[in-house]
Amino acid sequence: MSEELGSTAQGSMTASVATRVLGVVAAAAAALMLVLGLVVSPADVVQGEAVRLLYVHVPAIWVAYGSFGLTSLASALLLWRGRRRSDGGRHYDRLAGSAAECGVVFTAITLVSGSLWGKITWGTYWQWDARLTTTVLLFITYVGYLALRNLPAEPTVRARRAAVMALVSFVNVPIVHFSVDWWRTLHQPASLRIGRRPEITGEMYWTLLYSTLAVSVVAAWLMIHRYRVIRLEELRDEAGLAVALEQRRGEVVG
Amino acid sequence: MSEVASVVAGYGLAVVAVAVYGAWIVARGRSIGRELGIGDPGGPNGQEDGRWT
Amino acid sequence: MAAGSWGTVVWRDALLVAGKDLRIELRARVTITQVAPLGVLILVVFAFAFNANAVLLAQGAAGLYWVAVMFGAVLVIQRAFDVESDDGNQDALRLSGFHPGSIFLGKAMALAVQLLVLQTVLWVGLVVFFDVGVADWPLLGCAGLAGTSTIAVCGTLYGALAAGVSVRDTLLPLLLLPVLAPALLAGTRAFEAATGVTTDAGWNWTGLLFVMTAVYTVAGLAAFGPLVEDG
Repeated sequence: MSEELGSTAQGSMTASVATRVLGVVAAAAAALMLVLGLVVSPADVVQGEAVRLLYVHVPAIWVAYGSFGLTSLASALLLWRGRRRSDGGRHYDRLAGSAAECGVVFTAITLVSGSLWGKITWGTYWQWDARLTTTVLLFITYVGYLALRNLPAEPTVRARRAAVMALVSFVNVPIVHFSVDWWRTLHQPASLRIGRRPEITGEMYWTLLYSTLAVSVVAAWLMIHRYRVIRLEELRDEAGLAVALEQRRGEVVG
Repeated sequence: MSEVASVVAGYGLAVVAVAVYGAWIVARGRSIGRELGIGDPGGPNGQEDGRWT
Repeated sequence: MAAGSWGTVVWRDALLVAGKDLRIELRARVTITQVAPLGVLILVVFAFAFNANAVLLAQGAAGLYWVAVMFGAVLVIQRAFDVESDDGNQDALRLSGFHPGSIFLGKAMALAVQLLVLQTVLWVGLVVFFDVGVADWPLLGCAGLAGTSTIAVCGTLYGALAAGVSVRDTLLPLLLLPVLAPALLAGTRAFEAATGVTTDAGWNWTGLLFVMTAVYTVAGLAAFGPLVEDG
């Protein structure tokens, strides 16, 4: 860390050579994704131009699911092995936090692009359908998780509380999904299923796969940098504490 | 909204969201780094685990 | 110590914790004098919102009932953890040597009792103001108990998560209500069936509530260790 941060005096504090390269790749991949999604891929026979929203909507929710999965995994590792690590599991905590934030951003993108798409195909921004309802509850749950993370508290206490909440939320997702699924179902079935012939084919299929890859690279860049910023925040808090203690000692002596 | 306008709005909002979030991360990293004096090679960096960084 | 006696100890301690919480409530009477009237007030305010339309109110009665229970529950939960953070009480609990699982079960039981009191009052309000009748008493009773236990265990778990932080009052509902959303859905559907509004599969929804209770009880027992140690 010291080398990396030390060598980037004139650039971003959180960049290293590797992530600069990753950043360039991510930007290029995203640009190509826009070209493929908006220009190269064909309009759908049934859905017309609206189908282009698929290449934003579906990759965004997949990446969000992946991010929340990572949050849960890191939280489980924190509670399981955190105490045995020299940093008290702070590494896992940063990982969980950066992934959750990224997941919230991509869930928001999913919800917005989905409403726009819904307005075209269903004639309304919102339907009380199982997957939409689950997604909006998922979004609020992780917004709450981030709120819990941002509270002022002793860092290891906060990390453990956040980890417990992340795991409980993870348990909650299937319950929410099942219950709202039971309640009502309108949404078209999942776009791609592993081991089955996809319902969309050809250029649309490849564009969707490519877009997922591109969004994943962008998300990886965001997560790595957010992780480093969380580390910086911790350093700042520790430094602030050290300064305050120093001042206090000075007062006592003086 | 027309179909094309909705598609453009969907892509536009997604790009803006990611760009704003990314810019916020970088800006925050810079400002805290400056505050801590990390960035000048002789700065106090501590000996942290090198993972991910 | 044998597993059986260990279980007995956990239950005995849980009853002690529950008894302590209920004695505090009996002295202060916050649930009965403040939360229950607020619940009835929510029912009345909804009647204003729907312009006292009897048809709409009868249709929405089950949902309004559970919404009122849930908002009331948030207040009771906050109160249940307020008494712990006062005067270093949490340290006393930790030093008492109780198993964290006992504290979880005890607080959940005390919460369940208070929620049942709240629900009794709300039910009277529902019958009086919304003209609700009962088609299936066993279903109503079981769904009521299942919903109560779900809210009690979820509430205790999330109450502990948000306990002791400065903005708890605003944080707890934000954390708790999305988790309780399936319970709201299930309780509402089950009550609709029990009151004869729909012929929905009320027992299936009641079963879902019992499953939720089981899941969150296990989660709470596992999580309370790390949470209580924090302080």
